[in-house]
Amino acid sequence: MATRRRGKLAYKIIFWFLLISLIPMGVVGYYLINVSQQSLHNETLTMQGSLAVGFADTVDKYVATFRNVMTETASLDDFTSMNPAKQQQYLNRILQIHLAVLELSVLNDKGVETLRVGRFLGPNPELRDFRREDLFNAAVGPKGQYVGRLERFQGLYPTVTVSVPILDARVQPARVAGALAARISLNPLSTMLSMEFPSTGSSQAAVVAPDGFLIAHSDPKEIYRPDARLSDDVLRVVTTQASERGSGDMALADGRRMLASFAQSRDLGWIVYVQQPVETANHSADQMRAQIVKFFLIVAIFMVLFSLAMANHITQPIRLLKEAADRLGRGQFEDMPEVVTTNDEIGDLAQTFLGMSDSLKEKTGELIHAKQELEKFTKFLEKRVDARTRELRSAQDELIKKERLAAIGQMASVVGHEIRNPLAVINNSIYFIKTKLSTGVEPDPKISKHIKIIESEIQQANGIINEILTYSRQRDLKPERVSLNAWLEELLSVYPFPPHIVLEKHFDLVSVNVEIDTTEVQQAIRNLIGNGIEVMPPPKGGKVTIRTAIPEPGWVRIDIGDAGGGIPPDVLDKIFAPFFTTKARGTGLGLAVVRKVVDRHKGRVEVESKMGVGTTFMLYLPTVV
Amino acid sequence: MAKLLIIDDDAHLRESLAEVLDLDGFECHQAGDAKEGIAAAQKLAPEVVIMDIQLPDSSGFQICQELRKRSKTMILIMMTGRFLSSEEKTQGFELGADEYITKPFDLAELSVRIKQLLSRNAPRG
Repeated sequence: MATRRRGKLAYKIIFWFLLISLIPMGVVGYYLINVSQQSLHNETLTMQGSLAVGFADTVDKYVATFRNVMTETASLDDFTSMNPAKQQQYLNRILQIHLAVLELSVLNDKGVETLRVGRFLGPNPELRDFRREDLFNAAVGPKGQYVGRLERFQGLYPTVTVSVPILDARVQPARVAGALAARISLNPLSTMLSMEFPSTGSSQAAVVAPDGFLIAHSDPKEIYRPDARLSDDVLRVVTTQASERGSGDMALADGRRMLASFAQSRDLGWIVYVQQPVETANHSADQMRAQIVKFFLIVAIFMVLFSLAMANHITQPIRLLKEAADRLGRGQFEDMPEVVTTNDEIGDLAQTFLGMSDSLKEKTGELIHAKQELEKFTKFLEKRVDARTRELRSAQDELIKKERLAAIGQMASVVGHEIRNPLAVINNSIYFIKTKLSTGVEPDPKISKHIKIIESEIQQANGIINEILTYSRQRDLKPERVSLNAWLEELLSVYPFPPHIVLEKHFDLVSVNVEIDTTEVQQAIRNLIGNGIEVMPPPKGGKVTIRTAIPEPGWVRIDIGDAGGGIPPDVLDKIFAPFFTTKARGTGLGLAVVRKVVDRHKGRVEVESKMGVGTTFMLYLPTVV
Repeated sequence: MAKLLIIDDDAHLRESLAEVLDLDGFECHQAGDAKEGIAAAQKLAPEVVIMDIQLPDSSGFQICQELRKRSKTMILIMMTGRFLSSEEKTQGFELGADEYITKPFDLAELSVRIKQLLSRNAPRG
């Protein structure tokens, strides 16, 4: 199975934190920027409109200032006397004080020029007749003033001509003595605009006459151009407005968008036009946006760091838990990482995990213990099975041996019985012959000798049959408790030792009790003594040694030793087998009976033999209290 | 002269035993099986019956039991070719057997034993 790549919890936390924190901020920021942009736009427009109105007032005041100076001068007594010398004095003063005044003229009551002074006039300039001109008629008429004749002074910069009546106050009502006219440079207005509203890029401020004549411009260079005019699309808008003032967005012919404002001066009717690119108004909004974006980024970075810290804080115990779980999975219960148990859900989880880990450890321990127990038990069982198998095998061997012996016994029994009958007949017959012979004349001594031989052989045959039948007899054991030493003593006292045999007894001082079938054990001991006597024939004879000893608690050993020729080592292990014999005459059952008897008494028989020294049989029998 | 009945399926054994005991002055009769033996015992009423334990048609103990029912004094001697367990012997005695002899037996001893048993019965008979 391909390992599935697991998403890191930390990344998820960062993602969600950023989402939760930045989206509202983004929305609010976007909204704020939009709103502020709109309000700034409007504010800028309003300010720009106010600026236009202020400029319009300034333009009015500018012209009004000169008009007032002229009115004041024209009403002076010395001036109304129409004395040219006096008037020239005043006019020169005005020229000295007001640099914007380029030329001054005095007209008489007929409208003819009587005095003309100017900065750039030569001596005795030409005197003009203005009797049909508005310049004169408007000034002396009911309007009482004239502002007009917008033209370019010597084709260079715009000028305006202002005229006021000269009133003679010495008579009542005042009499119009003439008019005072002045040609005034409008350059200071351009200077003022360029100072108040510096023309940068598309920003500009201008004053135009309703007919489109450019009176002043925020770019001083502009005013000196011979064809100085505002662009037609601007002019079309500002000269066709019905209202005195206004502000708004305007698209120029070249596609640029402008914030445009205009205001008409109250006295003169000149129009002040102010424009600046929309971008200018948006500048603050842009700055604000940049500020917000900066803030947004800072918050984002902070959030990332905060999320990382947070995620680390949250995942640290989980990572530890995972590590611990991994170790558990590998079955390593030692050196578990320190699992922090805080008082929250993760703490609960850790607590539960620790509980689970303990339980798992315990269970695993139990399992391991159970496994070990099981292994131990299995080994034990195997041993038991092995032992039992060995027991069974030996039991089987024993059984086979027993069955074989039983078969032998049965055969021996049948044979023995069947032989006993003819033996009995022979015995009877020989007895008959012997009896018959004894009643008559003295028989041939050789016949008597042969009768004896037959009788002896019958006894021999009967002995063999008895031995076989004794060995093969299936009889129940009849144990009785006897004191071994005493019982042996009695047995030996009645045993018919021949004269060439010496009996030596070494009985253990501690007399123990044994539970034995006396008939059988007696038979066994008699067989052994009989064997011993047989291997020490006369005339030499020898010593039969009977010894008892306690080799270990619960056991007694009866040694029956002889000083015969010894048993060859190669036949030592066969001597207890039934029908094994080295004698010329013998059934080979004597030692087999011994073995059978000790086996039946849960004892054992051992033999030690040294060639030329003698043989000792050792019967081990369990003792009883 | 005491009458003596020998029951055995072995004719040689019967005859040899009978002739030996004849020499000792017994009037010996013979029977080859249990049926014949019981019939002979009824007819002859012998003082002594010597019978083999194993007979072709019956067990010697059955004859012993049968004969003991008829006579309390009849001397019943059991012959055997094999070892008898003490249980068997006890059972035999309970059925009325007086003596056991194992083949081959000492005839002089047997003769003396029979005479002794007969002499014990004589005063009562």
